[in-house]
Amino acid sequence: MDQTYGLFLYAISLLTMGGIYSILALGLNVQWGFTGLFNAGIAGFYAIGAYVSAILTTAPSVRHLGGYEVPYVVAFIAAMAVAGVIAWGVGKICLRLRSDYLAIATIGIAEIFRLILKNETWATNGPRGVSMVPKPFETLPEPYNQLLFLAMILLTVAVIYWGLERARKAPWGRLMTAIRENEISARAAGKNVERYRLQAFVFGSMLMALGGAYTAHYLKFIGPNATDPLTATFLVWVMLIVGGSANNKGAILGAMLMWTIWSATEILTSRLPDDLAIRTAYIRIFLIGLVLQIVLQKFPQGLLPEKRQ
Amino acid sequence: MKILRKLALGAAAVALMASSAQAADIKVGSVGAVTGPIAELVAAIMSGRNLAASHVNAQGGLFKGDTYKLVLGDSACDPKAGVDAGNKVVNVDQVVAIVGASCSGGTAGMVQAVTIPAGVVTISDSATAPSITDLKDNDLVYRVAPSDAYQGAAMAALIRSRGISKVAMTYANDDYNSGIAAVFEREFKALGGTITANQVHEPDKPSYRSELSTLARGNAEALVVFAYYGSSGIAIIKNSLETGLFGEFFAADGMFDDSVIEQIGVANIAGKLSITQSASDPEDVSYKIFAKAFTAGGGNPNAPYVTHAYDASFLMALAIEKAGSADRSKIRAALRAVASAPGEIIRPGEWEKAKALIAAGKDINYEGASGNVDFDKNGDVGGLYTVNTVSADGTWKNTILR
Repeated sequence: MDQTYGLFLYAISLLTMGGIYSILALGLNVQWGFTGLFNAGIAGFYAIGAYVSAILTTAPSVRHLGGYEVPYVVAFIAAMAVAGVIAWGVGKICLRLRSDYLAIATIGIAEIFRLILKNETWATNGPRGVSMVPKPFETLPEPYNQLLFLAMILLTVAVIYWGLERARKAPWGRLMTAIRENEISARAAGKNVERYRLQAFVFGSMLMALGGAYTAHYLKFIGPNATDPLTATFLVWVMLIVGGSANNKGAILGAMLMWTIWSATEILTSRLPDDLAIRTAYIRIFLIGLVLQIVLQKFPQGLLPEKRQ
Repeated sequence: MKILRKLALGAAAVALMASSAQAADIKVGSVGAVTGPIAELVAAIMSGRNLAASHVNAQGGLFKGDTYKLVLGDSACDPKAGVDAGNKVVNVDQVVAIVGASCSGGTAGMVQAVTIPAGVVTISDSATAPSITDLKDNDLVYRVAPSDAYQGAAMAALIRSRGISKVAMTYANDDYNSGIAAVFEREFKALGGTITANQVHEPDKPSYRSELSTLARGNAEALVVFAYYGSSGIAIIKNSLETGLFGEFFAADGMFDDSVIEQIGVANIAGKLSITQSASDPEDVSYKIFAKAFTAGGGNPNAPYVTHAYDASFLMALAIEKAGSADRSKIRAALRAVASAPGEIIRPGEWEKAKALIAAGKDINYEGASGNVDFDKNGDVGGLYTVNTVSADGTWKNTILR
């Protein structure tokens, strides 16, 4: 196989995963960037979306619930709907909590969902996960299958971006900023703060579930290890903060940039001698922290700061 | 005179460069969970894989002196990372085939999303989940580590053979340990044993006393622990001994490490702990050759899956040599040919001999450090198990389970 063609295929996979992370970062941007909700439980909604979509589309298996084999679009909508309903319930109870208390509550709730999915073996095959998840376009020849899958992801990102930009410029967006900046004055202006906070929380969580659903199909497998908070919650936070919270372009930039650093640095480190290559695997994790530090020092608002209007 | 010498040196340098330009690198992906929950096991596994590569390269390399080069990819025990690592080695490094990945979850993601569609052969040295067996893999996914189904059965038989009929069991809630535990539970009951309590536990908790007090309710004769030593196994045994709830322990191979003896203390654990392990016959010629070479490089040949790692890596080299070119599509057929009978037996380290036989067009049959590595139709191997017990002098004593 040609080297250039190989790099092209790798670029597709890099953009695919970067695109999925962009969806997660945009979801978090609705919650944290616009409205100021500290959701540290991204992994929970991500896992719900991933499992719902995987179980709904996978062929029957003795190891887990399945055999519904619904079309992808239905599965994606179902994943978002289930996550939305759950987020509504969680939001009703938790959104009265302020910043750090909300973070603690959401982190706990996300872990509860992840543990349920990990332990209800009859439905999810427990720690061993759901295999043989179908992938959209997989029957087409290479590279068209991968290109179309990437196109689906990027189109989703574009639609979400367009929608969020419109929402941000609309009265809804200004209201969200008002709630984030000064909740008391927003309340004094007669706005139903609880209702709007809940809206943002539910909508953001649905986007996270969509990101999870895409991940399950992309990996063709979903298991508890894939919903680890390190890569499903904290990495998304780093992406949004580095890119610039409350800026949709920033969320996408942060996601693409951090995923490239996370993934592509290994191409360099794997060229080192054996012993060093094993040790430098950890340096990649360290690099993420370093980039976050540099950005926070040099660009406290992120690479693309919020645009005020 | 001086000019002549310079010229000679220059000519030698040119010749050297020319020869090194001819010898290419034949790249094979070496994907494993270098970071993540089993990083400590994977470091040793990687040395096993690298030892095989150094044997190949020291004895003439692949084809006409090409270097057998392992390219590292980190699958972190996470399917996301596994797919990413697979994409990198397959597309960027253009590897011929892949040794790995570690962890059944990482492997399931990598092979389904990347290597099966790309037509790349993989040999895993440590993915043991039974579900790997029934993937639709176009005969591209192999493993030299036996499926968990075998170890669970071996352990049940061992415990019954010691005359023990009532045990309590606990397993770490991960893909590996829960798999062996499920098989063990079924097999132990089938052999007439009773499980008095079965409690799952989450790894990395500071204390397991509450789980242990639940487990101790049924007057079991022994506790069976399915866990990795670092994340929960040692803590469970320590807590059991401190509280006096259990005095005899059985464990699967995730518990096998010298730190178990060091951290619990020889006096506390001698004669009380038996660990089954998918391992090699210590009297086996292949194993002895491997153990000698691996020990010489500072490794512990009894560490989990190092023999499998060596075999996976060495087998891959044999298959590439047999295929005759670095062509992905030819490896599959060549791999089955070199791994099993008929043919002259090749043992670890015997690269020159194997290379000569392949060049002469003769069949070879690799008998590895971990066993005979004869693949069945699913690309799986059967397993041989040993039981390791702690002697009074603080060393492991191992016996084969027949």
